[in-house]
Amino acid sequence: MSKSINVALIGNPNTGKTSVFNQLTGLKQKVGNYPGITVEKKEGICKLPRGVKAHILDLPGTYSLNTTSLDESVVVELLLNKNDKDFPDVAVVITDVENLKRNLLLFTQIKDLKIPAILVINMADRMSRKGISLDIPLLEEKLNTKIALVSTRKGTGVERIKELIADYKSLSISPVLDTTVIAPEYFDSLRETFPKEDLYKLWLVITQDVNFTPIEKKHIADTSSFTTKSKSELKRLQQKETILRYQFINGILKQTYKVDMNAAKGFRAALDKILTHRIFGYLIFFLILLTIFQAIYDWSSYPMDMIDAFFANASEWVKDTMPPGVFTNLIAEGVLAGIGGIVIFIPQIAFLFLFISLLEESGYMSRVVFLMDRIMRPFGLSGKSVVPLISGTACAIPAIMATRTIENWKERLITILVTPFTTCSARLPIYLIIIALVIPDGRFLGLSYQALTLMFMYFIGFAASLGSAMILNKILKINSRSFFVMEMPNYKMPLLKNVAYTVVEKTKSFVVGAGKIILAISIILWFLGSNGFSDKFKNAETIIDTKLKAEGFSEYNQSRIEEHLAAYKATLKNGEEKNNLRLTTRGLADSLDRKKKELVQTAEQEEIASYKLENSFMGYMGKAIEPIVRPLGYDWKIGIAVLTSFAAREVFVGTLATIYSVGNDGEETIKNRMAAEVDPITKKPLFNLASGVSLLLFYAFAMQCMSTLAIVKRETNTWKWPTMQLVFMSAFAYLVALIAYQILK
Amino acid sequence: MAILQNILVYIVLAIAVAYLVKKFLLPNSLFASKKGSGKGCGDGECGGCH
Repeated sequence: MSKSINVALIGNPNTGKTSVFNQLTGLKQKVGNYPGITVEKKEGICKLPRGVKAHILDLPGTYSLNTTSLDESVVVELLLNKNDKDFPDVAVVITDVENLKRNLLLFTQIKDLKIPAILVINMADRMSRKGISLDIPLLEEKLNTKIALVSTRKGTGVERIKELIADYKSLSISPVLDTTVIAPEYFDSLRETFPKEDLYKLWLVITQDVNFTPIEKKHIADTSSFTTKSKSELKRLQQKETILRYQFINGILKQTYKVDMNAAKGFRAALDKILTHRIFGYLIFFLILLTIFQAIYDWSSYPMDMIDAFFANASEWVKDTMPPGVFTNLIAEGVLAGIGGIVIFIPQIAFLFLFISLLEESGYMSRVVFLMDRIMRPFGLSGKSVVPLISGTACAIPAIMATRTIENWKERLITILVTPFTTCSARLPIYLIIIALVIPDGRFLGLSYQALTLMFMYFIGFAASLGSAMILNKILKINSRSFFVMEMPNYKMPLLKNVAYTVVEKTKSFVVGAGKIILAISIILWFLGSNGFSDKFKNAETIIDTKLKAEGFSEYNQSRIEEHLAAYKATLKNGEEKNNLRLTTRGLADSLDRKKKELVQTAEQEEIASYKLENSFMGYMGKAIEPIVRPLGYDWKIGIAVLTSFAAREVFVGTLATIYSVGNDGEETIKNRMAAEVDPITKKPLFNLASGVSLLLFYAFAMQCMSTLAIVKRETNTWKWPTMQLVFMSAFAYLVALIAYQILK
Repeated sequence: MAILQNILVYIVLAIAVAYLVKKFLLPNSLFASKKGSGKGCGDGECGGCH
C-alpha cells in the first residue's frame, strides 16, 4: 500500500481554508465569513489523481510564522518539527485574491523553510467585480511555485489543487529570500555555531517566544563566535525581516497584480461607514436583534403547536394500539413525553441559527466585533471576546475554544470565565416554555411581550458576562499587554448551501446530542416515578377512592370539572344553532351527565396518578430536596428537574414533560399540563409570574453544564477556575432567583 | 405478556443508566479511539453539552 501524502492547509484567517478543506475531503466542517473559525487542526482524507491518497490538515489561520496567539502557534510548532507525524510533505497556502499582498508574507516564510509549497489564490470569482487582473505564469515564476486560481464559492479550481498536490515532488524547495541580510554577522555566527541546522528554521525557533509566552529552551552559552541577542533586539530584527519580505512582495505584485481602482471602490466603504458608525452602528445592531427575537416567536409558533399536538397524539396512539402493560406506559409516558419535550423547540432553534448564520456569512458579524471593541475595553475584554460571546449563543463549548484567538492571557481567561453567562441554545427551551406560561400575550409597539422578555433574557446574559468581566478585571492580577487587530472580511451574499448546512447541523447536533441524554434521563425518571416501595404507593387507588368518597375532589379539581362542563354545554348550544337542531331537555341532561362522568373519572385518575407520583421513588427524592428549592417558589417536581438538568440545562423541560406525563392519559400537550399544575401549598398555579421569573433568572446565571466545566478545565489546565465558576455562578443564581421570588410572590 | 413487558422495561432502563454513566462519570479516555479525529467543537459536534 502506498504511503499517503501529508498536506497542510495554511493561510491567513478568513481566506477560506476550511472551505478548501471541505471541498478536498468531502467533509463538512463549519465555515464562516469571519476570522477564527478554526482554532485547532482538523484532519481529512482526499483521493488524488493516479490513485494517490492525501492526508489533509486544516490548520488555524495565522498572519505569519511570528506567532502571537495559541491557535497560531499550532501552525509554527508543526512546521518546525520534522518528527511530527503530521509534518507536511507539501504545504498548500491559501490566499485571498483581494488581500494577496498581506497573505504572501506567510507564503514566503513557508517557502524559506524549504517545505514544498503550492499557492492557492481563492475567491477568484470576485476578480472581475473588483477590477483585479493577475499574470499567473509570471507570478509562478517569481515565487518559484505552482499556483491554483480557485473559487470555493463557485467550486472551481479544486481539481487543479489536487493535481498540484499529487505532483508535489516537482515543486521547487529553494527559498525565495535571503533573510540573513537583515543581520549578516549574527547569522554568520549562528551558522558557525549550528553548522548542520537550517538557518531560517533556527531563526524561527529563536524568535518564536518574542511575541508569545516563553517556551522551554536549552540555554546556549555565549561563545567567542556566538552571542545571544536580547528580546528587543530580536523583535527589531523580526521587523526588519517583515519589511524585507514586503519589499520583495511589492516588487513582484507590481508586475503581476493590477487593480482597476474605479471598480474596486464603492459599496463596501459606504456600507462600513453606516454599519460601524458610532450611533447608527449600534442602532442597526439593536434593530437586527429585535427582528430576530420577534421572528423566533412569530414564525415558529405554528410548527411548534403542530409538534406538540403530534407527540400528544402519538402518546395516545401508543396506549391505544400496543398491548397494555408497563413497557407500553414507558413508551407513551416516558420516551415520547421526554423526546417531545425537546423536539418541540426545533423550529425556534432553527430560526435562531438561521439568523446567526446569515449574519456570519454576510460579513456583518465582523463589523459587530469591531463595533463592540469600544464597549468591551472598559470591562477588561477585547473586541475579539465578542466572537466567543456571540458563539456562546449556540454553545459555550466551541465558544470557549474560540478564545484561543485572544493573544492576551488575562483577556482570554476572563472571556473563558464569563462566556457561560451567554444565553446558549440549551437555555432556549427553558426560557421559551416558562415565558409562554407566565408572560401574558399582548404587544408593545407591535412587539410581543414574550419576544421582548426573551430578548431581555439574552441581554441579561450579556450583562452578566460584562459585569463579571469587570469584576474579574479588577481582581485578577495578571499583567499582559493588549492590542486588537481584526480582519474585516468583504460583504458577501450568504450562500444558501452554507446557511442551510449550518442550520441543519446545529439543530441536528442540539436535538440528537441532547435527545440522547434526555431520552436516557426520561426513561430513568419514568421508572422512578412509576414505582415505589411504600404502602401508600401500592394502595393508592383504595386510599384516593376512600378520600374522594369522604371529602370529594379538591377545590381546584372541582372548579376544573365545572369549567369543562360549562364549556361542553356551550359547545352543544353552538352546535344546535349552527345545524339548526334542537336537543330535548332529557337529551341535553343525558349528554351532560355522560360528560360529567367522563370528567369525574379523569379527575379521579389524575388524583391517583398524582398521589402515586408523590409516593414513588422520585417523589421521595423530590421531597428530600424540596426544602432547598421551596424558597425559590419551586415544588419538589421542579426541584427534580433542576437537579437532573445539572448535567445539561436542556434536560429541564424533558424532565418536567416526563414527570407530568406519568400516569397521565396522554391527550394533553406539555404546555397545558404545566399550566394546569397547582402549588399544593398556595393552591394557585405553580407556574406563576413569581416562580416563572425566579426560574428564568436561575437558569440565566446557573452553571448547569458539566461539559462546559470540563472544557474550561482543559483550556485553563487547572480545576481551580471551573470550580470557582461553578461555585460562584450557582450561588449567584440561587441568590438572584430567591430575591426575585420573594419580591414578586 | 406482563413478564415480557417487565423484562423489556428493565433492559431499556439498564441501557439508559449505562449510557449516562459512560457519558458523565467515566473518563473519556476509556472510550477514545487510537487515532484522534481532530474533530473538535466549533463544527456543531460538541459531543459535550448537547
